[in-house]
Amino acid sequence: MELFAKPVAIATFFVLLALLWTFALQRTIAYPFVFLFFAAVMCSAWFGGFVAGIVAVAISSFLVEFFFIPPFYSFSIAHEFRTYVTAFILCSIGITAISATRKRSEAAVRAARDELEIRVRQRTAELERSNAEIMERELHLRQLTEAIPQQIWRTDGSGSIEYGNAVLLEYLGIQARDLAGDGFFGVFHREDAQLVKTSWETAQAKIAKFETKARIRGVDGRYRWFLVRGNPQLTADGTVTRWYGVHIDIEEQQKAQEELILSQEHLARLSRTLSMAEMAASIAHEINQPLTALLSEAHACRRWLQLTPANVDRATSTAERMVRETTRASEVVKRIRSLFSRTEYVRTNTDPNKLIRDLARLLRDEAIRRGVSLRLRLAENIPKLSLDPVQIQQVILNLVTNGMDAMAQSDGVRELEISTELRDRTEVVVTVRDSGMGLDDRMRSKIFEPFFTTKPDGIGMGLAICRSTIEEHDGRIWADSSGRGTAIHFSLRTTS
Amino acid sequence: MTDARENAASEIQTVFLVDDDSSVCEALRDLIESAGLAVRHFASAEEFLRSGNSGMPGCLVLDVRLPGMTGMELQSLMADAGQSIPIIIMTAHGDIPMVRKALKSGAVEFLTKPFHDDELLQAIEQAFESDRTIRSARALADSILSRFDTLSPRERQVMELVTTGMTNKEIAATLDLSIVTVKLYRGQVMEKMQAESLADLVKMSQRIKP
Repeated sequence: MELFAKPVAIATFFVLLALLWTFALQRTIAYPFVFLFFAAVMCSAWFGGFVAGIVAVAISSFLVEFFFIPPFYSFSIAHEFRTYVTAFILCSIGITAISATRKRSEAAVRAARDELEIRVRQRTAELERSNAEIMERELHLRQLTEAIPQQIWRTDGSGSIEYGNAVLLEYLGIQARDLAGDGFFGVFHREDAQLVKTSWETAQAKIAKFETKARIRGVDGRYRWFLVRGNPQLTADGTVTRWYGVHIDIEEQQKAQEELILSQEHLARLSRTLSMAEMAASIAHEINQPLTALLSEAHACRRWLQLTPANVDRATSTAERMVRETTRASEVVKRIRSLFSRTEYVRTNTDPNKLIRDLARLLRDEAIRRGVSLRLRLAENIPKLSLDPVQIQQVILNLVTNGMDAMAQSDGVRELEISTELRDRTEVVVTVRDSGMGLDDRMRSKIFEPFFTTKPDGIGMGLAICRSTIEEHDGRIWADSSGRGTAIHFSLRTTS
Repeated sequence: MTDARENAASEIQTVFLVDDDSSVCEALRDLIESAGLAVRHFASAEEFLRSGNSGMPGCLVLDVRLPGMTGMELQSLMADAGQSIPIIIMTAHGDIPMVRKALKSGAVEFLTKPFHDDELLQAIEQAFESDRTIRSARALADSILSRFDTLSPRERQVMELVTTGMTNKEIAATLDLSIVTVKLYRGQVMEKMQAESLADLVKMSQRIKP
């Protein structure tokens, strides 16, 4: 019922207004009710809708018929006015319909306009929000490129650098515009610039990324090794729009690698010295040559003298050659002695564990090749010792090689362990233990003697040299075969 | 035939010494000369090959360790070239596989330095002997071949059949000749080949058979 309250009230209001104005105007103009009640119906329909319009028509019809259609003040209608009343009612209904429809469509238009306005406002807000987000993200990205410790650059479409991050520019001590065009290649070491240029040109031709190592000069004038990488940015049709580059500092790795190569060369030199069989052959040749000459000359001399008549001239010159040859033989011996003579030890404060780890790294390949599992068990409380790292490494290398050789003939597990231990705070004991056949008592007492060997092609100098090296370091070396395999221990005194 | 053998024996045999150590070379030369033998020495295998002496009568005394081409390489090179000169190899370190290889490929002796005069001189004597045998065998084959070359085709046929043990009658039947003609050819073959008996001729034909 409430639904009708508002239209009814609107209709009643306009119709009563029309009635009052009709009474007021009745004396001055004839039949004012006609247009005033039409106006009331129209206004009711306009402001109150179709229902209000119909209500207004109903009320108006009654009031007009009661007050203004003869007989006045009665609901009966004179016969000649019936048509007139009917026309009035129909017209009123028509006006109501038109007015209400107009009103409705206008309301619809307004509603649509309002909605559109709301939508536009929402969209604008959205755009503003995403704009801010993009800007923030760009800021983040920029901060990120500046925060990354790597050097980053970007080129324009022609491949000329237009942006470099602060890390790059600060390292080089130049502006981004200095990197444009060929200026970029000026930052590299003279020997590397061409390589970078070539790899980039190749990458440009193939539209692929490139990567190369090069030295780059810092603002301090020093060169460091960098990994130089470039990536093309492509459009959908595959053309390059720009290049992005990054330089990663690999100076430390490069240095470590160089050191590794150096120590490998060093090791190779060591094992060359250790190839005693080869050296023995060479010594035998060296000594045998003058001996052969001497012996032959001696025989020849006797033969010249035994001839009848004796050829004294030839015998004399032969004897002279023998004298000369003896001198030469003693020189050969002197040369060999000097070959073996010990050079001065170069002692440095060295961490034995580090020394063993470095050696183990170099031995890993050899161990894998020979099917040996190499294990380190290094105590943490080992102090630095004053020793000759090269000589001590050579000793350990020799022990490890012996261990591997000992296990080569065994079918069982091949395990080799290098361990360190601090004993009584006064000495560090290094142990190389293999899982080979072990030693019997007789062998154990002899292995450190020169020329004692169990290897078919060995000459028995390795452990003798080891012992002399350790003794030079005021240490001891001993073997122990109590468990499985053989353990060779050597001790080095701590400096304190 | 006896002439040929004597010719080969009468050729002067030389010891060709190859060692890069001049003292050793000189000493060995002295020793070999004191035994009354001819000797020539070279500092390297290449020098010896260049000298053009590789086909000469005698023997080679080689050191295993030489600058450039090693003694073993020289030995196999000469074996490949069909040079049958006997070789004595000297080494400072008696390496068993190397000895085996050297002896297998025709070395007469393997000496470990330092060695006694008798060892070397006996080895040389043995090498000379084998050189003589090889040479005289080759000289003999050469002279038989040159005589064989003088035979006519028919005579060669007859010689071939005679040496397989056929009688004159069988040969006449095979070659479709009269027995008298066969006898005639046979006489000429014996004369031209300078064979004293049928057994002699059979031996000759065996020597020249490829």
